[in-house]
Amino acid sequence: MVRLGFLIVSVALLLSLCDGASGVERFPPPEFESGYELPSPTTPSPRQDIYEYVDTIVLLLALVVGSYLVLKKRSRSAIFALMIFSLLYFGFWRHGCICSIGAIQNVTLSIFDHSYAIPVTVVLFFLLPLVFTLFFGRVFCAAVCPLGAMQDFVLLKPVSVPVWLENGLRLFAYVYLGFAILFAATGSAFIICRYDPFVSFFRLGGNINILIFGACVLLVAVFVGRPYCRFLCPYGVILRQFSRISRRRVRIAPDECIHCKLCADACPFGAIREPTAEWTGRDYIVAKKRLAFLLVLLPVLILAGGWAGAKINNVTARMHPMVRLAERVYLEDTGEVEGTTDPSTAFRTTGRETEDLYAEASQIREKFGFGGWLLGGFVGLVVGLKLVGLSVRRTRTDYEADRASCLACGRCFEYCPQEHARRKKSEQAFDQKR
Amino acid sequence: MNGTVQDSDKTRMWYRTAVATAAVAAMFCLAITVFMALNFYKLHVLGPRRENELEALKTKLRSRDDDEKLVEQIRQMDLSIRRTTVRGKDFSVRGGYLLFGSAVVFLVGAKYAGSLRKRMPGPQVSADQRQEQLRQAQRSRWAVTALVLVLGSGAVLLALTPVVNFSGTSAEVRPYPSEEEVQANWPCFRGPAGSGVSAYANVPSKWDPNTGEGILWKSKVPLPGHNSPIVWGDRVFVSGATKDTREVYCYDALSGALLWTGTVAGSAPKDAEPLEIMEDTGYAAPTMATDGRRTYALFPTGDVGCFDFDGKQVWARNLGIPDSPYGYASSLAIYRNFLLIQYDQGGIEDEKSKVIALDVFSGRTLWETKRPVGSSWASPIVARIDGEYQFITCADPWVIAYDPTNGAELWRVKCLSGDVAPSPIYSGGFVFAIEPYMRLVAIKPQGRGDITETGITWGVEDPAPDICSPVSNGELVYMLTTEGFLCCYQASDGSRVFEKELEMMFLASPSIADDRMYLLSRKGVMLISEVGPEYKELARCALGEKCLASPAFADGRIYIRAVEHLYCIGEPSPGEPVQDTDG
Repeated sequence: MVRLGFLIVSVALLLSLCDGASGVERFPPPEFESGYELPSPTTPSPRQDIYEYVDTIVLLLALVVGSYLVLKKRSRSAIFALMIFSLLYFGFWRHGCICSIGAIQNVTLSIFDHSYAIPVTVVLFFLLPLVFTLFFGRVFCAAVCPLGAMQDFVLLKPVSVPVWLENGLRLFAYVYLGFAILFAATGSAFIICRYDPFVSFFRLGGNINILIFGACVLLVAVFVGRPYCRFLCPYGVILRQFSRISRRRVRIAPDECIHCKLCADACPFGAIREPTAEWTGRDYIVAKKRLAFLLVLLPVLILAGGWAGAKINNVTARMHPMVRLAERVYLEDTGEVEGTTDPSTAFRTTGRETEDLYAEASQIREKFGFGGWLLGGFVGLVVGLKLVGLSVRRTRTDYEADRASCLACGRCFEYCPQEHARRKKSEQAFDQKR
Repeated sequence: MNGTVQDSDKTRMWYRTAVATAAVAAMFCLAITVFMALNFYKLHVLGPRRENELEALKTKLRSRDDDEKLVEQIRQMDLSIRRTTVRGKDFSVRGGYLLFGSAVVFLVGAKYAGSLRKRMPGPQVSADQRQEQLRQAQRSRWAVTALVLVLGSGAVLLALTPVVNFSGTSAEVRPYPSEEEVQANWPCFRGPAGSGVSAYANVPSKWDPNTGEGILWKSKVPLPGHNSPIVWGDRVFVSGATKDTREVYCYDALSGALLWTGTVAGSAPKDAEPLEIMEDTGYAAPTMATDGRRTYALFPTGDVGCFDFDGKQVWARNLGIPDSPYGYASSLAIYRNFLLIQYDQGGIEDEKSKVIALDVFSGRTLWETKRPVGSSWASPIVARIDGEYQFITCADPWVIAYDPTNGAELWRVKCLSGDVAPSPIYSGGFVFAIEPYMRLVAIKPQGRGDITETGITWGVEDPAPDICSPVSNGELVYMLTTEGFLCCYQASDGSRVFEKELEMMFLASPSIADDRMYLLSRKGVMLISEVGPEYKELARCALGEKCLASPAFADGRIYIRAVEHLYCIGEPSPGEPVQDTDG
């Protein structure tokens, strides 16, 4: 019943937003000759700067409270409440913008394009979650990110994703991050914002394709915990690395782990790592050989990735509007396509020489060639390191939350018998004091 | 024990309540969805249909200005469409909020129900933990490898995607011709820049229709038209039209064979007032234009057609029937990808006149500029002045120059009146414009805004032509009246050099090739004289057919459109037979 209900609600929301989305078209003014003078359009005044700082302060406070709730209070209910607040404030109230995930692109563009002035609030939105992650783990993901909150809220019937599949799918986030940086650095597009699956929900309207994408992600999120965060989020990729070296982190059991495995069963994100078993001598020999092979393979993967990335530069460069325009104009001029588009018509109105346009597009393609090398090399490096990581033996004696993958949602606390015992002791101690 | 039972009952009750709430919310969502789907259909399927109906009514109104009943019907329909649209949009916004609210209620209910029916965790312990962990690591490595293969395949597919190679850009794929190409051809009325001056010195000066000497070919033009031929490479284009049919003809410049005929379908409203055009103007007075890639034709009905060199129609559109007494006659001009149209109509006070630039690729309007002039029959020119191109027009009372790329007015001079038909020319640093029957004016095309006071360098009040355009070699400027009165002036100061009564009627404008001037009389006699300080006739060649259009000049050839035939004058190449494709 609940599943059926969810399907109905999803489809309903999708259709409603489609309706709103297509409602943005311009309606022509009346053509009556009644002497009525149409009022001249006015531009809404920009949002006051003060609100940007309010957003930053709210973010800072949410991170502080989130860190306290995750590491000190250890309360899933409180974390959930903060998560709902963040969803309402950063999501529905602020319409999903400004957001730390998209800020990656602003920061990237500001590095590569010195004429681009990045607002200080965007820098803070980018940096604050990183700093908090460095000290307290992924508390931003736990309770502050509206995208994560949205997915967490709709999680009704979690199913566990096999470890091997999780390991494979997670690499998509790295590729996505690479492309996002490439496109931002070349001034082509902010794809993280363009393909934000939830912004249309936050704004109750938007592009139909993104709406469908968002609805699909939400539908998956009913059964798979936070699919976007785990398999696509580019900011999550950075947070993972910071979380690996975080000063403090989530501990499942407050003291000694009794190996009940309840936490692993409770975690919908596959972030609990079980104690490792002893290897035999043969296991070590095989693992060593494999590791040696993979270490040799690593530079090969980097070079191959870089070469492949550079080879697709003419295609990836199409993300840049100038290249798309040049190609369109070229095809029109050579008669390979019929008719014109608004951009090509606008270009022709400028009276600019097409050769200039082609030259500019060729330069952008060259940039993409170099960027493709870096992107491909990065993907090759990630894949190589992942394979190496999967071939190295880890030593764990207890059930632990994976430093990188743990979203600090606090579900594992609720299931841990030791945590329950701690709370009981605390309550008794409190009662005795009273 | 009793307490546990009560707790259980209470939990069950809350569970049922939560499920019921979720179910009601889901049903509510469903109901709202149905209403919103209907609203969507109404807005986005039925809405456009009604808007099309409204557009059809508006089109109908153009030909029935005084139909008050129709006006009222349009108003009511317009109001109804707007009302429906506004209400529908309002409903979609409210519906969106309702859906959002009910979705939240559903999720809260469902989550609460789920929390009350929590499944007890049942962790499964693997029999052989070591084997299981090794197996998982191995599968993970394979999964990563599979991903690499997926990415690699994607990269290969992307690399194989056809890409546009800009470095392959050559003259053939240039969107518009170079200046050299334009000079080598005769792309519009009176050739490059509408000057009437040929870039070739080897233009023939002797022919005889009786013996066929000097006439390479002669082809029949199916439909009548007073427009002049235009030439690009081995193609010659003219247009012809009757009241109901508009055609474009492409001839082979070598043989005179009609290669293709293109038809421009009229798109004016069927119930529009029939277009009455004077016989002297005809239904195909505007000369075509070409950029060597496509060719363009404009008809007095407001129909514009574009064809590629193989005769395939690229686009066609109607600009609205021009309100022009005698019939519309201004020829097309072309600059890069801008097809330029001087669309003068009505009186000055009617404010109907405008210049329009259409995109040569699509026919879309690139810009449009209203102008304070009445109907005119002169053709605009595009001239390169001080390194910049100017789109120059003549009409009562202004000579106005525009920026051809955006339609911005550059300068204007008030010096014309009456029914302006002679086109302007630019030569020797001056724009020469003719005020019919009144005077010839030399304008220094510099400055911005109204330069009447400063721009007119000189003007001569002699009997000026009412139809023929002037011609100049930069030093001398000639004007020829319909009655055959030829006057020559110094271009620099307007002092008269000579005048000559030719005792013939002329409708075709004079042309210059090398040091010879070509004057084509109405009877089809070409007077060839020296370009110089005195009139010295070199030859007189009769064609034997009435000629109203100005000739076109090419490498060693002259193309003359007579009333029924198109002639190619020139010396045949060795072994090349003289052809008569008249049938």
